Amino acid sequence: MSLSKLPWNHFGPHHPFPEKQKFHGCYQDALAPPAFLRPLGLSIQAAFVPVPSTMSNSSNMNALSPDEMQRFQKLSNEFEPDVPGLLVSPKQSSHNIALEYANADPTFATKTSALAVTHPMTRVMKGDGNCGWRAVAFGYFETLFSLRDILRVEQELARIKSLTYTLDRVGYAEHLYEMFIDATEEVFLQTSEAIRNGDQDETFLVNAFNNEYQSNSILMHFRLLTSAWMKLNPVRYQAFLSAPLEQYCASEIDTVRTEIDEVGLQALVDGVIQGAGFGVEVLYLDRSEGDAVTPHQVSPTCPSDATIRLLYRPGHYDIIYRAEQTVNMAPVVNYQYAMTTNYSPWDQGALSFDVNSHLMSIPNLMADPAFAMGGASMSPIPSVSPTPASPYRLSPTQDMYQSPMQSHTPIPSIPVSSPTPAMPSAAPPPMTSLPSRSSDGPQIRLNPLVMKPNLNHLPVTAPFKK
Amino acid sequence: MDYNMEDTQNSAPETREATKLSGAGQRGDTQSVTKRLQAELMQLMMAPSPGISAFPDADGNLLSWTGTITGPTETPYEGLTLKLSFAFPNNYPYSPPTVLFKTPIYHPNVDFSGRICLDILKDKWSAVYNVQSVLLSLQSLLGEPNNASPLNAQAAELWDSDQEEFKKHVLARHRDIDDE
Repeated sequence: MSLSKLPWNHFGPHHPFPEKQKFHGCYQDALAPPAFLRPLGLSIQAAFVPVPSTMSNSSNMNALSPDEMQRFQKLSNEFEPDVPGLLVSPKQSSHNIALEYANADPTFATKTSALAVTHPMTRVMKGDGNCGWRAVAFGYFETLFSLRDILRVEQELARIKSLTYTLDRVGYAEHLYEMFIDATEEVFLQTSEAIRNGDQDETFLVNAFNNEYQSNSILMHFRLLTSAWMKLNPVRYQAFLSAPLEQYCASEIDTVRTEIDEVGLQALVDGVIQGAGFGVEVLYLDRSEGDAVTPHQVSPTCPSDATIRLLYRPGHYDIIYRAEQTVNMAPVVNYQYAMTTNYSPWDQGALSFDVNSHLMSIPNLMADPAFAMGGASMSPIPSVSPTPASPYRLSPTQDMYQSPMQSHTPIPSIPVSSPTPAMPSAAPPPMTSLPSRSSDGPQIRLNPLVMKPNLNHLPVTAPFKK
Repeated sequence: MDYNMEDTQNSAPETREATKLSGAGQRGDTQSVTKRLQAELMQLMMAPSPGISAFPDADGNLLSWTGTITGPTETPYEGLTLKLSFAFPNNYPYSPPTVLFKTPIYHPNVDFSGRICLDILKDKWSAVYNVQSVLLSLQSLLGEPNNASPLNAQAAELWDSDQEEFKKHVLARHRDIDDE
């Protein structure tokens, strides 16, 4: 059999997401699934089951002389796939995945078609050996951004920076790791900035993660935090490792380009991600039985608004997004903006009489700055604006879209818009703001005018100056 | 503001040149490589490890260094001084430096051009490794060669079979080189 027929090229055109996997020594080579099986999409377990047709190939390999084997091993060790594409792609339709597998094994075809319905969007990670790490790190920042809560971003920055002491405890030198932390902090600041600016999408994050330097630095930071976490909690992980933990961390976690494995992913989630309260779920796309991908929850909880979902195919991770999120979001925005503009006339119409004609008849009254915004907006509740304790925060999705409005504070209609979250239900005006409006409403305020003959000395005291 | 930027650029022409040549690095990257290497140099000078030293080359290019290892006691290299060259890529520390023995050396994991077979200089490289840790690893490699994957098969055999003969080969090949 001619050598050229051997599938030495692991990363042939059939496999769209080649991973750089390197194995040293015969022992590991024997344990690892033969790389040429991967293009067929076999899971690790499946690779151990003798498959007659493929096994005949490997017996041919054994017929090679040691020198040739060595030469091939060397070529294989030094092989660096020239993978095209972005480190992190923009969101794209999951139908692309279904198309890739359309002519593949029926199990894959079924699962990927079903997946495209339940999880319509994906984000492809470059298969350069860091895809799993990059998927989690990008997902972390993307989730943080999607919550649109600057305070939360600041808390997370403080939390991640506070983990630096673990790096010191396991003996990393500050002058070696400080550059990684700086890069991570930079992306936190960019996230705050984007929220403050009301950026609609996460393009800035895609750009940051496609900057080789920034991307590498963040991944290295997360790798070191994971490594430190494992070294400080060895009992949880040692049983799952075939090598001593220190050695495992040095050869699999601390490196710049070693793919994440399941133990590493668990440790990354436990040590770095979970503290944020985010969930991580992995969907396994393999040839196991069933019509749908197999989900596996890596974190103890998976909050619906803050869960990073990864699609795993043997040797590769991508990010995938559930259906409901994209369906819900867009209409809500438009609805709220529409309500905001339609809403302002209601406020004045609610008064039992025309305020302006009465007020304008009072000399000097308009000089009082308290009247500048009109009576209604003086009531403390709306002026607090949409945020904290408002009872109208029906769902996190709505929270998300309040902040962009806040960022436009110069527009005077903003205070008026605060009750809008209640409006989608077409309910009557919120009760908390109504009593306050009537209690210091114009009727009561105008009463003293009737009693005081001197209109030049208005008793513009307590109720007005409030 | 503008003037300041111009001054910075003029003061570091070689790093800019290096960036241009590789075509890959960005200005921000080059700055961080420089910063990182300066920090490493500082560390080496403030807290030197016995038996190793390193310093940037005299040409003022921070991306190329010369390191020195003193052969560890109770090894065939005892008392010898070995010089190495370090060439740092523009994306250091995300790629390892290229490290070569400049002093001719007879060792199972070093070939006759001075190329070294050591996993941490290849796929097991970590961005927290540094000049100091590389030199320390190489120093220990002198006393504990990895004979499972030799670059110099004869040396590997001899190490296992005849230490006396091995040491003769080491001394025969060794030749002190001058600073250039």
